[in-house]
Amino acid sequence: MKQHQRRRRLGLRRSVGRLWHHFFFRESTLSPHHATQGPARRPSTTAIESIKMADSVDPALTSPSTTAPSQASPNPVAENSPSQSLPIRDSKSAKQPAQSEKGTSKPKDAPAASSTGGDGASDKPLTPAQLKAKAKAEKAARRAKEKADRDGGAVAAGGSAPDAGQSRPPNTPKKDAASGGASQKGPKGAPPRRGSGPVTQASTAVEPKKKKEDKSVSVFSHLYGQQRRTTVNGAAKEVHPAVLALGLQLRDYVVCGSSARCVATLLAFKRVIESYTTPLGTSLARHLTTHLSHQISYLSTCRPLAVSQGNAIRALKLAIAGIDPSTPESSAKATLCDFIDNFIREKITVADQVIAGSAVEKIENGDVIVTFAGSNIVKQTLLQAHKEGKRFRVSIIDSRPLFEGKSLARVLANAGLDVQYSLVHAISHAIKDATKVFLGAHGMTSNGRLYSRVGTALVAMSAKERAGGVEVPVIVCCETIKFSDRVALDSIVVNEIADADELVPANPPQQVTGLPDPAAFTAPPVEPKKGGKGASAAPTQDSSASARTPSPSPLANWKDTPHLQLLNIMYDVTPAEYVDMVITEMGSLPPSAVPIVHRMSTNI
Amino acid sequence: MPSTSLALTPGLSSFLKSLKSNPIDTSIENLISLLKRRQICHSRASATATAYLLRSVVSLCRTSESSKLIERVQSVGRRLMAAQPREMVVGNIVRRVLGLIRDEAEDDREAEFALSESESQPQTPRAFDDASLPLDRDSLPLGAERSTRPPLTSMFSLLSHPEPEASLPSTPGSQSPGGHNNFTKDLRAEVLEGINEIIDELGQVDEQISNYALEHIHSNEIILTHTSSTTVQKFLLRAATKRKFTVIHAESYPNNHEVTHATVSGNRRDDDELLSFESFQKPLIAHGITVILIPDSAVFALMSRVNKVILGTHSVLANGGLVAAAGTRVIARAAKVHQTPVVVVSGVYKLSPVYPFDFDSLIEYGDASKVLPYEDGDLVEQIDVQNPLYDYVPAELVDLYITNLGGHAPSYLYRIVSDHYRKEDISF
Repeated sequence: MKQHQRRRRLGLRRSVGRLWHHFFFRESTLSPHHATQGPARRPSTTAIESIKMADSVDPALTSPSTTAPSQASPNPVAENSPSQSLPIRDSKSAKQPAQSEKGTSKPKDAPAASSTGGDGASDKPLTPAQLKAKAKAEKAARRAKEKADRDGGAVAAGGSAPDAGQSRPPNTPKKDAASGGASQKGPKGAPPRRGSGPVTQASTAVEPKKKKEDKSVSVFSHLYGQQRRTTVNGAAKEVHPAVLALGLQLRDYVVCGSSARCVATLLAFKRVIESYTTPLGTSLARHLTTHLSHQISYLSTCRPLAVSQGNAIRALKLAIAGIDPSTPESSAKATLCDFIDNFIREKITVADQVIAGSAVEKIENGDVIVTFAGSNIVKQTLLQAHKEGKRFRVSIIDSRPLFEGKSLARVLANAGLDVQYSLVHAISHAIKDATKVFLGAHGMTSNGRLYSRVGTALVAMSAKERAGGVEVPVIVCCETIKFSDRVALDSIVVNEIADADELVPANPPQQVTGLPDPAAFTAPPVEPKKGGKGASAAPTQDSSASARTPSPSPLANWKDTPHLQLLNIMYDVTPAEYVDMVITEMGSLPPSAVPIVHRMSTNI
Repeated sequence: MPSTSLALTPGLSSFLKSLKSNPIDTSIENLISLLKRRQICHSRASATATAYLLRSVVSLCRTSESSKLIERVQSVGRRLMAAQPREMVVGNIVRRVLGLIRDEAEDDREAEFALSESESQPQTPRAFDDASLPLDRDSLPLGAERSTRPPLTSMFSLLSHPEPEASLPSTPGSQSPGGHNNFTKDLRAEVLEGINEIIDELGQVDEQISNYALEHIHSNEIILTHTSSTTVQKFLLRAATKRKFTVIHAESYPNNHEVTHATVSGNRRDDDELLSFESFQKPLIAHGITVILIPDSAVFALMSRVNKVILGTHSVLANGGLVAAAGTRVIARAAKVHQTPVVVVSGVYKLSPVYPFDFDSLIEYGDASKVLPYEDGDLVEQIDVQNPLYDYVPAELVDLYITNLGGHAPSYLYRIVSDHYRKEDISF
């Protein structure tokens, strides 16, 4: 049977090769630029090249925890990667101090990062046993305390039910890094407690259901899966620590953006493969796939997988399946690691450079370029155009709740570009004097539609239907790895629902200025241990809200308000007719070329 | 506690309170500064304040001639409009008061010379007006207008019957014969009565508009709206008494999202200024209407499921375009792309006789700190932050206007303009 499978695979490959030839010849006539550049670049992976690559990958990645250890082995260049990516991380965290979920889980990531980093420095399998024991004791005590708290607070909580599940993170920063790290590895390192993990998870999961009514918007009911994972509790024991950390980073938008998520996932999987040993009685090709699928299912509970992640995983699985069972394990693993490195380099790093290179040619002096939210590839393009001495203005349109454009504006302004910043309500004003619109993509669907951050469609539409009657060209920069075989007619069929609590405006500004909260004075008897528990504070806040002059937000307890629903979708689908050009690493294409390119590139 | 803070915050209520005690010049200065400081900034608040101020101006103006009264109102009106040129309702109210004075003056003059002739004039040119509504006043200017300038006849006069309405409240003044002194007193009294009717209209306009709600909203519809307009809310609330539908509410993030959040959740603040002159009302959700709050960016994504877009507005222009809260234009555009009808609800007092040529001059820019909060202050020095408060929406994006007079196509608005404002007042 296995032979039969292999033969089939071979046949498939052969047909793929044929397709590729077909495509390549056709494409080479379309874009001689890439046809000459592609092969020339691939063999010459010199040291300088790899430095460049590390440079360009890392900012996209923004996760020092996963890059540092994994890149340390192949080349020493990566040593500067954490310092490079850290500022971005910081700016991200500073960008959103408002989001309560983020604020609480942020400190949790930090210890996790340092712990996994420490793992990478010392040898990883030898996690000190006494450390684990200590962490175990601490954790058990903490959990018991929390359970007591939650039982007291959750009854009154109701509205802040998801917060109750997160009451753990605020505690972790108080412990030392070791315990934070142990809590990350808890399910893996401490098998006896695995039983208790799902129990607490279940209790938190039940709480939202106690509400009187369903808060999911009925049109999108098919998209409300399970709630996003709040802790690493209950993760399968096979899940690698790097993947555990990555999952939380994905959830909190620390690693955000289609290609960054893809790179981070691949790098984490590389670490999984590095530390993988084939169990007796199975072959690597068969068992590693199932081992990876545990990691993948964990990641998808943190946040639904991006199109690029799906494509990369598919390619990786194909590569694993293609390994000859007779290959020794070490060389097979080396092959796979090489495959991952090459994949990242080809599909993202070099692709980004090629795309930026050809997108820069589209920018002329005196242009006014409108872009939406914060696309990494658009940022690269604009910076490169500025470096080449082109004089143009950039108008960034941003939107709630992620405000991704803010970091883009900061980077561009620091580089010396002329930047204008406004929110989505000002689209028609920003588009008035635009000459070009550059958009990033989360994905391109097979019917040529652009699947990107919600609000992109509004920008593209405004560009096409400007009052003056002159259409503004809309240019999408997109790596081919983001092409998908799915089709979508509107934004409701395919989408991702984010936590609606992100839409609730966070704390009033007096907290920012460092003034003590007036509620702390008015309501100390009601709530003596407010500092300790951010989550359990929420229900009592409501009771004291009337006494306090600046009430937190009218939406603070929207979950208790009947018939009120909040909808926070992540993406929308831009009709193909709004997109003039898709710049990919294979050249500049019309949106209708997406399915062809997708067939070519996924089958290689 | 709220009552003291209410008195301390300068705004519409404090202005109206002080209007009686302060001398008139102080009140004028007060309103000018309130408008300049944007402490009175909503259309209705500005209109109400203007109407009340003009009422006291007229009542305190000790003149015997209508031309002097007109002059006085014009000079006050000019100063008010200069204080906040983009608040077009101020000019609208001034124009209507001016038209009122002119009509009364002409009526009186006619009464002097041809008393019998003026009485035989048709009094109700607008046949569709509900007689119970205090809009009968509108019929007077029209009737008088027609008597002086025959070429500008209304199309309605073709159908209207020349029968005088004896029950009109403002007619007795013109009917009573008397000396010259009596006329001027009557002139002022009638102008004051007309202004009172304008004030009444401002108070009742939402109710009148909401009477049309059941014609336009049906069961199981999905309605999209934007920002928190009380006119829209009342419109939807009226429909909610009979029908079950779904409302998608875009929050209009940086400028009005807090009020929008309060509106959808029903947790209005106690110190909300609007509350002082609008009755407390239940939110839509209390009527069992599902309200979905979305960020503005999700409008396009949801538009394919929306049946109707209902928008409030800041002011309506004579060409059928409108100036509304920023973000309205993309919503209207997205609706057009999805072939979704766009309905604009607006009181007639927002209808301005201005034909826009320079759209940018209509747009006001707001506080940049709402776009970039204090924490990102370092960025403000490096980049150009824009926060427009209004959008100009061209007439072709609007399918229907619903005013207190009924539903109109955008192309019909010019006619209502000429019904309400006199030519000589359009640019005074």
